Amino acid sequence: MSPDPSWGKRADLDVLNRDIRRVDGPEKVTGRAIYTHDVRLPNMLYARTLRLQTARAKINAVDVEAARQLPGVVHIHIEKEPGSEVRYSGDDSIIAVVAAETMEAALDGVRAIVVDLEKLPPVVTEKAAKAANAPLVNYSRNADSNVTTASESGDRAAIDEVIRGAAALVELDIEIPTQHHVCLETHGHVVDPAEREGFVHIYASTQNVSGMPGQFRRPLERDSDTIRVITPHMGGGFGAKFGAGLEGALAARIARETGRPVHYMLSRADEFTMAGNRSGSKQKIRLAANAEGKLIAVDLDAEKHGGQGRGALPGAPYRYEVENVSSRVVSVKTAADSNRAMRAPGHPQASFGMESAVDMIAYALKMDPVEVRRLNLSSEVHSRQLDTVAKEIGWADHPNRTAPGKAGDNGMAVGIGFGAAGWGPGGRASQCDVTVNPDGTVVSATATQDLGTGARTYVAAIVAEELGLQVSDVLAKIGDSELPPSVASGGSVTTGSSAPAIKDAAHQAREALEAKLEPVLGAAVGGYLWKDGQVSVRDGDGGQSLSWKAVCALLREPLVVRGKFKQALYRGDIHGIQAAKVEVDTLTGRVRVLKMVAVQDQGLPLNRMALRSQINGGMIQALSYGLLEQRVFDEQDGYLLSDNLDLYKIAGPQEMPEMVALIDDEDERESVCGMAEATIIPGHGAIANAIYNACGVRLTKMPFTADNVLEALYGKV
Amino acid sequence: MGGPAGRPSDQGLSRRSFLKGAGGAAAASGVLAADAASQEAATAEGAATLSGTTEVELTVNGQARKVSVEPRTTLLSALRDRMDPALTGAKLVCDMGSCGACTVIIDGQPVYGCMTLAARCQGKAITTVEGFGSPDKMSDVQDAFCEKDGLMCGFCTPGFVVATHAALDRKPNADIDELKYELSGNLCRCGTYPHIFEAAKAVQMSRAAGTGEAQEGAGR
Ligand code: FES
Ligand code: FES
Repeated sequence: MSPDPSWGKRADLDVLNRDIRRVDGPEKVTGRAIYTHDVRLPNMLYARTLRLQTARAKINAVDVEAARQLPGVVHIHIEKEPGSEVRYSGDDSIIAVVAAETMEAALDGVRAIVVDLEKLPPVVTEKAAKAANAPLVNYSRNADSNVTTASESGDRAAIDEVIRGAAALVELDIEIPTQHHVCLETHGHVVDPAEREGFVHIYASTQNVSGMPGQFRRPLERDSDTIRVITPHMGGGFGAKFGAGLEGALAARIARETGRPVHYMLSRADEFTMAGNRSGSKQKIRLAANAEGKLIAVDLDAEKHGGQGRGALPGAPYRYEVENVSSRVVSVKTAADSNRAMRAPGHPQASFGMESAVDMIAYALKMDPVEVRRLNLSSEVHSRQLDTVAKEIGWADHPNRTAPGKAGDNGMAVGIGFGAAGWGPGGRASQCDVTVNPDGTVVSATATQDLGTGARTYVAAIVAEELGLQVSDVLAKIGDSELPPSVASGGSVTTGSSAPAIKDAAHQAREALEAKLEPVLGAAVGGYLWKDGQVSVRDGDGGQSLSWKAVCALLREPLVVRGKFKQALYRGDIHGIQAAKVEVDTLTGRVRVLKMVAVQDQGLPLNRMALRSQINGGMIQALSYGLLEQRVFDEQDGYLLSDNLDLYKIAGPQEMPEMVALIDDEDERESVCGMAEATIIPGHGAIANAIYNACGVRLTKMPFTADNVLEALYGKV
Repeated sequence: MGGPAGRPSDQGLSRRSFLKGAGGAAAASGVLAADAASQEAATAEGAATLSGTTEVELTVNGQARKVSVEPRTTLLSALRDRMDPALTGAKLVCDMGSCGACTVIIDGQPVYGCMTLAARCQGKAITTVEGFGSPDKMSDVQDAFCEKDGLMCGFCTPGFVVATHAALDRKPNADIDELKYELSGNLCRCGTYPHIFEAAKAVQMSRAAGTGEAQEGAGR
């Protein structure tokens, strides 16, 4: 009998664990890749949104008569009927949607709608939400306060006792603003209501292709098995694109009512207002250690700021081992958009608090922060990764290792900081079909979406590896709900779910072909070597071989096999360490990141180049989060002030430090899983720690903009 | 700013100034901008007066393309929404000149398509990302982006490809800091910058080695 599918030793691989060019690269770099945003159908309408610009209001009347008269305006959907309320800034802000022959005409329509409304107090900040007599904006059933009941754990009195005897105790107040996903392709859909081959077609910018058809059942008034969702390419998700959203439901409804295809992508301001965010938080942390640097107690008192959502924060202790733990966490509800999953939901927030506290413990004890981390992270993997990263960032030669440095005469100071990451990427029920045709062509097909991770490339590459072919010999088909089902891409589960299913399908195809080869080449199933487009008998004298084409010619009809997720091919338990080197200008408060280093394990690297891209991406998003990003509301009226890419900054080319993305090659596990979440977790904490290491000032408030740095340095700007 | 500075300027009539009168009126009264206001703005800038929908001829990637535009139609919208077949390589991301996803070349200069009026582009040579190469015959920059993995989701990629071509034309020997500066008009959320810089460096090296020929020959 042949063995079960296995990834095999790294040294035996011809395709995987190498730098593989993305199979969709040529389409993307030449502008030929079609995203939902780019879909153009005959007779298509463009839709635009009329949103309330402030947070809350009572709607008295919506007059669309003038708008209806405008040339090009075809359909106006009124979402807020007279007497209704806009209860929060978010999808509830949609008052009407105008569908027109052109984008400009749709905007004309939006501008021509006259709304009579009564403003209500906005309650967009936590301060306003907690004020005495604050209007209730917690709309959960039976809620009577904007602050939710605390979830508590541990015994605070007992912790206080432990803390009293500690060699070191640090206390800090962390403040983290709300961050946005900023997918460059906004949320949206193109809904084509004409039935073709039994389906209504929906192009969707989604990270959940298989899960989408059911979400359109109601607005389209048809069964989900007659709805086909297509996502050939998508321009970023980061956790914000699991659902069709109100915008999807309205696109479908307008398409059904007009009988015409509808293109409804959110505008950038819509996107900032209603497409989700990473929740902010306040964390009061007390952390105690004994004289050896071993953490002995932690207490966390936190608020999560998720607007209408509950916010995300994994709680204490984060990542590090601490024996005595107590915590108290509440959510403060405001009249703002709900938080959504965003790349490692809650973890970058928790990491910032804990990494800062651990660092403070090290300096309080005049110990090396690398050694304090090693002592309190339980895993051997983290320990070796600390060595790797410390070496790469130049820690041994750095002057300030157990106490912070000082600025030179020119006001400049240089420092290095560290942070740890981990994640448990899931793996579950994805499926994949592999088809081998008599003419030698091969198709690997699964519904999954490629968010930019390189999923499409490994859908082909895994099959190529198993059958001894080149990546270009296999056609990868993805992004279609009619293909074998795949998981939604969240929590780094895609690779762990899809790759085993693809491997299983490829392995079955190989066995089926080997069964056909038995009468020709003589060896039983499992006795063949597939390499360089040839198949030969494994222990033969070399004479018994056939070309791939000749093997396929033995088929009378296409060979189709269905692969399923296999637990044995997956393992989700990953580790990373990151370091940052910064330069702080203590006169102006400006922080420049000079270098970032990350090392990450994940089992077998499928495509090393795409992995390095992901690791870079994690570091860069953390850098951007740490230095620049911040949602800002106008407290008085509730306008979202940071609703564009000028006022909501993300890191650009000029902010890029030298970046070193390392794949942990000491990890020899013969299993696969995703890793994107882990890489975004510790970077901004490492930057804050580097700032302290440079000049002895602890940044507890993000982002580390010049004003926040100056405030931390001098108590005022 | 280096590269990006060339973009919205010297277009005479910017979309901002064009819409100033119109947008203000609409916001205040909730009615459509009066034609008079827009025309006044246009005349003040010394441009020809257009109103309603007009057919113009644009030279895109060496081809004459007829397209009906309104005075306010941006070049980006003309390419993406009004041409048939549409040229959707350039993307609409910020719609205000912050991100560079809409970058195209006009008469040799990189320009934000979302900040440029289509009607002002008559008689000029427009090159979009599609004009630099096709999947079977990529430009050297496009090929280097694939080779160095200078793309992830790919939504910012067309803008970066065009901006990189422009940067290397303008500063063939740009060092890393100059490259960052030249590309600073473009944003990527996935975090492809380090690999884009590597791609640009690879192009510099292959151009230096092949002197001139590389530019055409590297496509495959
Ligand atoms: S879309 Fe034109 S610069 Fe962003
Ligand atoms: S590759 Fe996704 S935004 Fe740049």
